[in-house]
Amino acid sequence: MKKARVLGAWTVLFAGLFAVAALLPPVPAEARDIKIGIVDTYSGPAAVFGNDALNGFKLAVDEINKQGVLGGKIVFTTRDEQFKVDIGLNMAKELVLKENVDVLVGTINSGASMAISEAVAKKEKVPFIVWTAKSENITGKAGHRYVFSTAENTAMVGKSAAVAFAQKPYKKFWIAGDDYEYGHAIADAVWRNLSKIKPDAEIIGKTWWKPGEPDLIPYLTAIQAAKPDCIIFATGGLSMANVLKAMKTTGMENKIPVWIHTATDHSVLKPLGMNAPEGVMGTIQYHYYYPDLAANKKFVKDFQAAYGNPPGFPAFNAYTTAQFIAEGFRKAGTIDKEKFIDAVEGLKVDTPVGKVEMRACDHQAVYPMFLGTTKISKEFGGAIATDIITLRGAEVMPSCEEIAEARKQK
Amino acid sequence: MELNITFAGLTSQFLVGLSRAMILFIVSSGLSFILGVLRVPNVAHGSLYMIGAFTAHSIAVAGGGAAGFWLAIFIAPLVVALLSLVAERLLFCHLYEREHLMLLLFTFALMLILGDLTKMTWGADYRSLVAPAFLQGSVPVLGTPFPKYNLFLLGVGPLVAVGLWLFSSKTKIGKIARAAAVDREMVGAIGINVSWVFAFAFVLGCFLAGLGGALVSPTLSITLGMDHTIIIEAFLIVTIGGLGNMWGAMAGSLIFGVSQSIGVLLWPQFAIVFPYMAVVIILTLKPTGLLKSVW
Repeated sequence: MKKARVLGAWTVLFAGLFAVAALLPPVPAEARDIKIGIVDTYSGPAAVFGNDALNGFKLAVDEINKQGVLGGKIVFTTRDEQFKVDIGLNMAKELVLKENVDVLVGTINSGASMAISEAVAKKEKVPFIVWTAKSENITGKAGHRYVFSTAENTAMVGKSAAVAFAQKPYKKFWIAGDDYEYGHAIADAVWRNLSKIKPDAEIIGKTWWKPGEPDLIPYLTAIQAAKPDCIIFATGGLSMANVLKAMKTTGMENKIPVWIHTATDHSVLKPLGMNAPEGVMGTIQYHYYYPDLAANKKFVKDFQAAYGNPPGFPAFNAYTTAQFIAEGFRKAGTIDKEKFIDAVEGLKVDTPVGKVEMRACDHQAVYPMFLGTTKISKEFGGAIATDIITLRGAEVMPSCEEIAEARKQK
Repeated sequence: MELNITFAGLTSQFLVGLSRAMILFIVSSGLSFILGVLRVPNVAHGSLYMIGAFTAHSIAVAGGGAAGFWLAIFIAPLVVALLSLVAERLLFCHLYEREHLMLLLFTFALMLILGDLTKMTWGADYRSLVAPAFLQGSVPVLGTPFPKYNLFLLGVGPLVAVGLWLFSSKTKIGKIARAAAVDREMVGAIGINVSWVFAFAFVLGCFLAGLGGALVSPTLSITLGMDHTIIIEAFLIVTIGGLGNMWGAMAGSLIFGVSQSIGVLLWPQFAIVFPYMAVVIILTLKPTGLLKSVW
């Protein structure tokens, strides 16, 4: 009898619990946070770009988390690759194998990005979104299902530069730059496009220095002595500021026309202040002062309020990356890596400069390119890009057929 | 690709190399001095060079204009010297008797710490120090433009060298330091307070690192990571010149700086290898370095 009464009490209790559970709102089966692993450079000269990207990502994630994604939040953890391929690779492995991140993002180093793409993303089947490194090989011939790029790439840059040169009378070119993946990729891309548009153009010399070479004056004086019509500097953030500075010191400014991708970036021009060289041609996919859209103004205002300076292109790329992650998972409806990849292919997200599409065929974000020339502006207290020409993404990107061909050859 | 090298081009390139060598000399003579007198392979020497550059920038900005620049050149090395005095009295003075591997590890750790402290103090942004107007731009040397600031460096380098030579051969403390480099026990045995001689030598070496950092600033962007590049070059220079030998540091710097700048002109695609090739050749022929090593 006693046993029966106990059983009865238990039954009532359980029934009651079920009733309460039924009244509560349903909890999604996978209500957990989405873990993002960031591998980027936070020490050494490239840290300025790594920090900028991280700030842009943080700003976006804070906005996204107010609403949440699939009932959870986006959380992230960072690793400093120190601009080294082997360190970046180990950290990406650690993030995937130990931290079980859902998506990997980063890095600024093209070599590291390629290594992570091949040895971690492809092997472990984890989506990897490259947000600053610009080698076209990342989504070109070395591209695959698990790698994406939210950075503009060297193919797009090369085409833009060639368009700029086509309108000028230059014939004798000198190529100089950083002796690593990015430097060579950008030089090849410019030359490939330029020799098509301008068959009589010739390279009269090439100079390669080690990435981050501090004193470029000996290199510039030697190039100057060869008297080229124009110099193509295939250099990134590491040596960029040094090139601009050395141009001023050697008096090259205004004597020999110069083109450098991201020369019009404010993180490079700002430290030089009113002493920045004028007349330098540059290409970039984002300016905080151009295009003058309401969404861009809001982004710049929020960014400035949070971090005290305007966003650079890495911040813009990283902000866009966060939108792809959030919208991708929302569209997929579940935290599943394969479904996320399917969802992101062809996805269009809102960014400060309008809708940006992730092209399905090669996983490359479609950005417009802005061609500009540096000019000192009293209002900005330094040099900014002027006479900006906008080239649409479709005009400067390799076609899906070209991508397929490049991947087949590999 | 044809080689189109003129005499004027070669001369100007040689001079650029020489001016680069002046910076290398100032930094590596400090490293060499510390190596010679204290037997400390100070890997953190490059960090002091970087701190010298960042400090110079801060002082120049605070001072403003040309006055700020000169103030920076004079005060930044003193700030670095003060910092090194603190480091010497608190840390280094307890470690001189340790073996070299331990000292190498210790100074390496110090380099990482100073690197992070620099990032915490000044942030990751690039900085640029501007030389006074009369040192900006270039002047024609044999018809090719030559940066004015590099001419200035060509004047400063020998001044520092002569100053160092006068100090070490004409002053009492300089002579004691040189004696301590050869036989430190003997110096202690005749009643000289070796501890303070060592502190002085250390601070002087670090002062030179700071001076190099301040002087180099107008030619490049001041960034994190400056320490890594310079320390490798400085160690190579000290090694090919002869450990602890000041004139060796001068010879090493000239070879390193000039072989780089001439290499850039002769074979620009492979310019990186020239100074390192010079190092390999010298060490193959003379493993102890060009001049007499005090070790």
